[in-house]
Amino acid sequence: MAEVAQNNGGGKGKSHQKKMQIRVDFTPMVDMNMLLITFFMLCTTMIKSQTLNISLPSNEKVDNVENMSQASEEDAVTIILDARLKRGSLTDIDSVNGKVVNEVYYYFGKPGNGSENPTGENNNLQKSEFLTDEINAAGVPTARGIRQIIQQRNKEVLAEITKLKEKYQKGGFGSLETKDGREKAQAAYDEAAKKVRRSENLKKPVIIIKSTPRASYGGLVEVLDEMQINSISIYQVDNMTKVDSVMLIDYQNRHR
Amino acid sequence: MGRVKIARKSTFIDMTAMSDVTVLLLTFFMLTSTFLSKEPATVVTPPSVSQEKVQETNYVQVLVNPEGKVWLTMHNDTSQDYSNEKMKAALLDKVAEEYNRTHTKKIQFTALQKQAFSKLGSFGVPLSQMGEFLDLAQLPEGQTAMDKWLMGEDNNPNHRTGIPINWNSNEDTPNEFQLWMKAMRQTDNQNLADKIKDGTGVAIKADQNTAFEKIHMVMDNLQTIHMNKFTLLTALKAEGE
Repeated sequence: MAEVAQNNGGGKGKSHQKKMQIRVDFTPMVDMNMLLITFFMLCTTMIKSQTLNISLPSNEKVDNVENMSQASEEDAVTIILDARLKRGSLTDIDSVNGKVVNEVYYYFGKPGNGSENPTGENNNLQKSEFLTDEINAAGVPTARGIRQIIQQRNKEVLAEITKLKEKYQKGGFGSLETKDGREKAQAAYDEAAKKVRRSENLKKPVIIIKSTPRASYGGLVEVLDEMQINSISIYQVDNMTKVDSVMLIDYQNRHR
Repeated sequence: MGRVKIARKSTFIDMTAMSDVTVLLLTFFMLTSTFLSKEPATVVTPPSVSQEKVQETNYVQVLVNPEGKVWLTMHNDTSQDYSNEKMKAALLDKVAEEYNRTHTKKIQFTALQKQAFSKLGSFGVPLSQMGEFLDLAQLPEGQTAMDKWLMGEDNNPNHRTGIPINWNSNEDTPNEFQLWMKAMRQTDNQNLADKIKDGTGVAIKADQNTAFEKIHMVMDNLQTIHMNKFTLLTALKAEGE
């Protein structure tokens, strides 16, 4: 390919010149191209980062208390995030993945069951953990830790979502054979799932996420992830109140 | 004794085809690449199950380092009318105007300084030092000096990096971070303003080990100026994590 056949005076018999080939060596060219490719490969960002949408309540003081959205006592679940401390007062950092180790606490309903003194017996704060699903031999995952607690509170919605998933897999939202069909079925499923998550008829929890100042930002994202995994539609990030701090310190003092 | 004759064969390998392939690959990478922009702080974003991709245009990135310092990057429309350079020059004017309204020590920028600002990627020095910072662009090696300043690596104790931010819930006395964010909404680029309103226009990028306190301060600042919706930049979560 990279050669040009030269035929000098082919017609005249006297010429002693051989048929000559001019070959162009492309090896340096390839070398250079490889270098350039390597450079571009290393300098590009192929993976775009993901985003997580959140909306926070307005900072403005609401004058009229009646206008404030109130969660009913039985629906409310408060999750408090804290960082584990090493001896001394440094935050504990996992030696494997380099993340700050977070601890998660939760309580149902009102803090301290609504009593004046939220410490001791009245302290309804409980501790949990971030754990991934345990998968048994049959391949059925079982939720553990904080995920299990959220799932129990959101049973009704999750049962509906499971039904929708089965329907989707059986082709109930449209055929899954073609690419076009799959996209349409996916869109129909998403729409139906959204409706279920927001349904008024199902009992669903209202989750309030709070965090101590020393807890890590990664932990907050982890909690927000749990909301998405467990199809929670109503949740918000809020500030720690004084009662929350009192309960947390009380709990940590008792379980040292 | 008969000798076995070994035919001499050329060891020449034809590289033309190989060259064709590499050129094609090279073209592909050149056309699809978006360069990693240099940022004043390197952060590891937290992993998340969220699948949504970050958008390419019309958003403001708020970079927060583990110490709570803040830098901004403005990404504008691809159209000529609202190009990054035009909008950034307008942004600087707007911020200076707002700043002068509340401060006795007025600031003013020359055309050269504005031009230098419009070419910046990430920015974030106190407004009182912005003039001095932008003047660096005129020097040879100016870009390196500016990068060093932003990363806090030049050995001048007077040079401060990061946009001044504090706990402030009074909208009438905005801090510099709030001034910048408010000005972002007020440029001619209506697309950016709309995105900021629906929450996809403000992206917070922070390290996973940053204390919540620091992020909370940034969020609280945004809430004060009625930017209640925003997005957090995350990395893809590995399976089983």
